[in-house]
Amino acid sequence: MEFLLEINTEEMPPSHVKTALEQLREKFASELSSSNISVSELRTIGTCRRLVVVGDFAQSQEDREEVIIGPPKAVAFAPDNTPTPAAKGFAKAQGVSVDELQVIKTEKGEYIGIKKIKKGKPAKDILVGIVPQIILSLSFPKMMRWGESSMKFSRPMKNILCLFGERLLSFELEGLSSADSTSGHRLHFPQKMKVKSFREYKEALKEKKVVVEEEERRKMILAQIEKKLAPLKAELFPDEELLERLTYDVEYPYVFLGSFPEEYLHLPLEVLSTAMKEGQKLFSVVKERKQLPYFLGVADTYRDSRSLIQKGNERVLRARLEDARFFWEHDLKRSLKDRASGLKKVLFQEKLGTYEDKSQRLKKIVAYLCDKIEAAKIKKELIQAAELCKADLVTEMVREFPSLQGKIGGLYAKEKCCPQLVSQAIYEHYQPVGLEDESPSSLAGAILSIADKMDSIVGVVGVGIQITGSSDPFGLRRNAHGVCKIILDKKLCFSFSRLLDKVLDIYGEKLERPKEEIKEYCLDFFLNRLRYIYEKKGYRYDLINAAFGAGIDNVYFSFLRVKALDGLKTSPQFEPLILMAKRVNNILRDQPLYKINPDLFFEKEERDLYSAFSIIKENACPMISKGDFSQAQKIFFRIQSSLNNFFDRVLVMAEGKKIRQNRLALLQAISKLLFQIADYSQIVVEGEK
Amino acid sequence: MSIQDLVINLQKFWADQGCYLAQPYDLEVGAGTMTPDTFFRVLDKRSWKVAYVQPARRPKDGRYGENPHRVQKHFQYQVIIKPSLPDIQQVYIDSLVSLGIALEDHDLRFDEDDWESPTIGAWGVGWQVLLDGLEITQFTYFQQAGGIDVSPVPVEMTYGLERLEMFLEGKDNIYDLNWSADTSYRDLRLQEEREFSDYNFNQASVDTLQKSFLLYEKEASRLIQKDLLLPAYDMCLKCSHFFNLLDSRGAISVTERVKMIARIRALVNQIAQKYTAREASA
Repeated sequence: MEFLLEINTEEMPPSHVKTALEQLREKFASELSSSNISVSELRTIGTCRRLVVVGDFAQSQEDREEVIIGPPKAVAFAPDNTPTPAAKGFAKAQGVSVDELQVIKTEKGEYIGIKKIKKGKPAKDILVGIVPQIILSLSFPKMMRWGESSMKFSRPMKNILCLFGERLLSFELEGLSSADSTSGHRLHFPQKMKVKSFREYKEALKEKKVVVEEEERRKMILAQIEKKLAPLKAELFPDEELLERLTYDVEYPYVFLGSFPEEYLHLPLEVLSTAMKEGQKLFSVVKERKQLPYFLGVADTYRDSRSLIQKGNERVLRARLEDARFFWEHDLKRSLKDRASGLKKVLFQEKLGTYEDKSQRLKKIVAYLCDKIEAAKIKKELIQAAELCKADLVTEMVREFPSLQGKIGGLYAKEKCCPQLVSQAIYEHYQPVGLEDESPSSLAGAILSIADKMDSIVGVVGVGIQITGSSDPFGLRRNAHGVCKIILDKKLCFSFSRLLDKVLDIYGEKLERPKEEIKEYCLDFFLNRLRYIYEKKGYRYDLINAAFGAGIDNVYFSFLRVKALDGLKTSPQFEPLILMAKRVNNILRDQPLYKINPDLFFEKEERDLYSAFSIIKENACPMISKGDFSQAQKIFFRIQSSLNNFFDRVLVMAEGKKIRQNRLALLQAISKLLFQIADYSQIVVEGEK
Repeated sequence: MSIQDLVINLQKFWADQGCYLAQPYDLEVGAGTMTPDTFFRVLDKRSWKVAYVQPARRPKDGRYGENPHRVQKHFQYQVIIKPSLPDIQQVYIDSLVSLGIALEDHDLRFDEDDWESPTIGAWGVGWQVLLDGLEITQFTYFQQAGGIDVSPVPVEMTYGLERLEMFLEGKDNIYDLNWSADTSYRDLRLQEEREFSDYNFNQASVDTLQKSFLLYEKEASRLIQKDLLLPAYDMCLKCSHFFNLLDSRGAISVTERVKMIARIRALVNQIAQKYTAREASA
């Protein structure tokens, strides 16, 4: 039977709509399943003013068999199988005859009882309870109250349409009664209209200028954009985030093309597109990545017959561009170096000092990193970039458009004829903002970005600011993701723990917590972030644990380890190796370290194992040190037959102390080498789960 | 339609909605929200409907009269309705229609923009209202003021009069607006913008401002002890204005900035607590 729910609200932010639609889908699925109502279709769609659930649910709950257990069989029936008063009493209480009693086997023995078929209730009786409860349970990143209600939601609720089987499903929610009507576009068709089915709902809304499916709105926007751009032979400056936002922001998209005076074209594309995007949410129009004097906007209407919307937006944009031009020219009157002196007045964090202090630290961190990753050639330029990279924080442009920080510094550096390497490093040093963003394209940008982020993480942790699920005031998680992403993208190899030591040293006395504690916290923090990243890439948690067993000091190698394990997980030799590793681990548990004495091997199998191990070690070590864990692992597969023979024929825990310790020493050496690839004992094998 | 016609229209419209028409408050404020007709009245449990014009001073926005849309003093039309009405968005839309705007030819958007004022410990949830891309109103459901959860929830609509008028007249320059049929914004305001920009950025005595801040801060504390909450709040408004002037003089470092705001907020929060306690026992 068709189910239709529409929660009509005042304008919700797109992020709220998306989370609500997700929650609605999950909650309906789980509530219906636990209520035994079968679901053949369930989906959610919406706009900034509507959260819609459409489904096809069973008309009633499934029937359920219910078992009622009475007295034990031995009590209920005499040995000659005649019912006792206990049986009669139970039958009477249940309203059945003694003949209908059945024998039911339980863990405790045989009992008598009855099986009843419990008729499912009509689904509408259940839904009436479930629907309001689900609506009330939705949670949003920020909730609000309104009027005199104590209810919390994303924005005030206006109307709830709820139909089941073409009929109103009637319930009350915080003073609002569910209805069988909705309304169209707020400005054009605010009148109430009744609907009976989803098809009717969708069509009627479309007629009243509301397109309720986001995918359809998106297509409408793209089609209109294409139509507007074709005569210009131009393209959109791509901005997926803006497109997504607009898809939810409007109920009926109308794309308009506007223009601005060419005199603003000397401003960089970054500045122009930001001025268009922020506030008015306009797309900039480009040709071969060069800005044209046009923009595209998406209005919530179906026409602009008098071009008033276009002209209004042009007027507002002109004022913004005029501001941007003023900032650009004003900012360029002073060099970045001169401006950087103003950073003395800008606080980075109360206990960590100003951005001037931060710049000084960054100079030292980039110098260190250049030495460690063999980038000495660009050290001089990087130190210059580190000194200047925060200077744009005191420009008018960043004050007006904070999202341009970094980029605008890079552009100003370029205008002021700094070396290209310097301006590019500055331009890219905030990248990547989150895991979806791109890493810096230049090595210099990558190094400066890592330095900046590590400085923030160590400093903020060092003054005792806690990062919790809900509180991360300095965006440390995002920073850590950025550092990891750059290392993986750029395949950078360096000791992570020594980098932490270096940053801690540079901070010196400024940090309040003991250095060891900060370092431990940071390592643990990064381990968790890396785990998150690898899980997001789709790697199995136990393979990740196994790779982490070998440490994350070389972050890039930890990734290569996971990848190698993942690549070989289906190999027939993989599982025996794991079982072997587990066995070795068990034997070695609680044993102190021993040293191998080759002269003490006297059984053939232990001599064989020792020589197999020596060869494997010689071959695998170079692979391990260059990060080819896949090859190293394959080499290790070759130890299995010798190890099997060893276990079959040789008693490790021999009587003689020296011989025993020597055998343990051999296993310890094997285990140690294996640990350089991964901690195989962490991997779950079939049958163990 | 001139600015004064616009005001007359809005006055009529909101009076018809049952609002009491207040007159502008006689102290310098950064926004209509800060005046007692809003600040105190959103705190208590009683229903409240008020509308008024309030000049708002933001010393740092001064541009010596040379920028076509930034001024250090502008005019807001402030409306508070408590509790918020279920159809308040529609009422607001009707107010625009009452100004003769044919909305069906335009793009009206309620664009996510949550508002907060750290100085008076207030925040709310709502939108900036955009008309063909121009921000004409801030629309907010208050959630807290003076650090206290407000209940019932008031809705605040703050129209930017100059912005709205620029839309109505289709003009690009604020000084070209008509205040009345034969008086322009330029005639009334240009000289004031020039002189005050010079004062805000160059001439205001930092020493006097710093001393004044301390004096008024002390006075606010003293008056709070005496339960004279309205006068104490006036002293806080003075502090806030001196703070804004010090800021435009570039005399406040970032650290001090946060601390000074926190000092004013602490006083305002005390006032809010005493006020709600007094209202609850009345």
